[in-house]
Amino acid sequence: MTQAVAQTIHRDPALVYWVLFPITVVMIMTGILRHYATVLMQSAPKKLDAKGTREQRSLLRGINLRINASVISPQSFQARKAYFVSSCHSGAFLKEPENRGKPPPNPMTDPAGMEAMMGMMRGNMAMMIPQTLIMSWINAFFSGFIIMKLPFPLTIRFKSMLQSGVATQDLDVRWVSSLSWYFLNLFGLQSVFTFILGDDNAANQMAQQMAQMNPAAAASLFQPGQDPDKLFLSEAENVEVLEHKWILDGVEGRLLKDLA
Amino acid sequence: MSSPLLHLPAHLTPSAALHISQQAPLLLQDQPSLSLPFLYSSESTEKWAIYEHLLLACLRTGDDKSARLCLERLSNRFGATSERVMGFKGMYQEAVAEDDATLERILKRYEDILVEDPTNTVGLSFTLAVVTTLANFEEPIAKRRITLLRSMPKPEEAISALVKLLDMSPTDAEAWSELSDLYLSQGLYQQAIFSLEEVLLIAPNAWNIHARMGEVIFISLNASVSANDVDVEKGLSESMRWFCRSIELCDDYLRGYYGLKFMSGRLLPLLSKNHNGASTSGGAESGSNLQFSLATVQKLNQLATAKLSEIVRKSSAGDWAEYGYGRAEVIAARELLDRDKQPMER
Repeated sequence: MTQAVAQTIHRDPALVYWVLFPITVVMIMTGILRHYATVLMQSAPKKLDAKGTREQRSLLRGINLRINASVISPQSFQARKAYFVSSCHSGAFLKEPENRGKPPPNPMTDPAGMEAMMGMMRGNMAMMIPQTLIMSWINAFFSGFIIMKLPFPLTIRFKSMLQSGVATQDLDVRWVSSLSWYFLNLFGLQSVFTFILGDDNAANQMAQQMAQMNPAAAASLFQPGQDPDKLFLSEAENVEVLEHKWILDGVEGRLLKDLA
Repeated sequence: MSSPLLHLPAHLTPSAALHISQQAPLLLQDQPSLSLPFLYSSESTEKWAIYEHLLLACLRTGDDKSARLCLERLSNRFGATSERVMGFKGMYQEAVAEDDATLERILKRYEDILVEDPTNTVGLSFTLAVVTTLANFEEPIAKRRITLLRSMPKPEEAISALVKLLDMSPTDAEAWSELSDLYLSQGLYQQAIFSLEEVLLIAPNAWNIHARMGEVIFISLNASVSANDVDVEKGLSESMRWFCRSIELCDDYLRGYYGLKFMSGRLLPLLSKNHNGASTSGGAESGSNLQFSLATVQKLNQLATAKLSEIVRKSSAGDWAEYGYGRAEVIAARELLDRDKQPMER
């Protein structure tokens, strides 16, 4: 292949002012708007009622007992074990003891689950609607525009990324189409938003998608639809089979060996 | 802003509190202005943390005016119905209350709030003076009520309220240690030990709680009238073990060494007296081998003495604060060492 002559396309300089900047500014403004809209639409996290708290924390206490059993004396451990196991079996910690053994409520009809889903829906909507609008705006007015040339060469692989909406085979990869500029903005503005809005902004959709993929961080110990009774029973079993060893046994020997 | 304001130590010395509260008028001068939300996110958590710390310090030093201002700022920002603000407000009212009748009224109000919302256990740490370094901020009103009950003093009611709180939230280390303290003040030693064990289950590496356990066991030993030599020896050994563990977790812990030295000093004459009898029979009866040999105790005693004299020597050079020891602790340690130097007196 011969040394390709650098392609030149005569662009109207007004393209920069009337297409490139507007798209960028609109993208940034939507991000900021979305951030504030999300903040306003956020419903306060729902508070657990006393019984729910008791249920969760009793389970946590059981887990603590299993993990940290070595700090207490064998007698104390046996007493606690007996108490925890018998309470688990009798369902004393449960929020609704009368619901034992029944199948868990359907998450679709459970009002608590509904609310969470509504919250997620709203988040998704706040993201999707503006993006759809902007994309159709670009498609309607600027479709097929070549709006800038990158100052560095790129391999052919980037063609689909930088020239979507422009189906020209021989065009150099360095030319960027309006639609691609939109996509680059969509994915690349995170640091700009961090600069403007601070760390935990809701402006970028990528961050939101990450949050959705990892809901384990949510405060609730119990997933909706999980039977707390089963969790208690399995925890009781874990505690029951635990082999107890007191860390105070032989501590003086360890101490003398370490320090003397 | 200044860093000591931001990271308030759990155990604030009086002088530090005074220092902080003296800065209050200066810090409160600048009115919170409307900030441009676009480019300027000055609304930082630190700012409000500083206000909270300022409020606490001012309450301690009796600067009620500044405290009032802090409280107003907080409630303007977060609304008077915020649990935390409610807790702070209760604290303020308790501090400015002049007679018992006012306190009773405050108590009544807490109860009303709790009837409306039983989970409102906003977590302001109990009292500023309680010997707990585990301060988590949860459940304020319920805890305020308990604190008030305790200071009024109605310890029985405080205990039953705490037990109720802990039934709902059994993973609250702060509440457990408070309960243990209350039980101890009522002379219910087994219950106090149980509560401390719960604290340890939540915070297994809390060396101060380990040392506290040793202390409580020793106190309960002293209180029991019917203890014979074997029981005393067993109790002392157990107490000593807790101190050992405490030192194992934190090998500069003055309180741990103090306890170790004290207990081993008590144990030595006992052991040497019935060395032959007890050490053979005692080990078999309890499941875990609780008995120490005379040599081990002697070694432990020497270790504690050496470490304590080192700490005292360093501290008497004047830089005790640098090592994080309290003045009173160092003085007590020196006194213990001096007592040891003239053993003939006792």
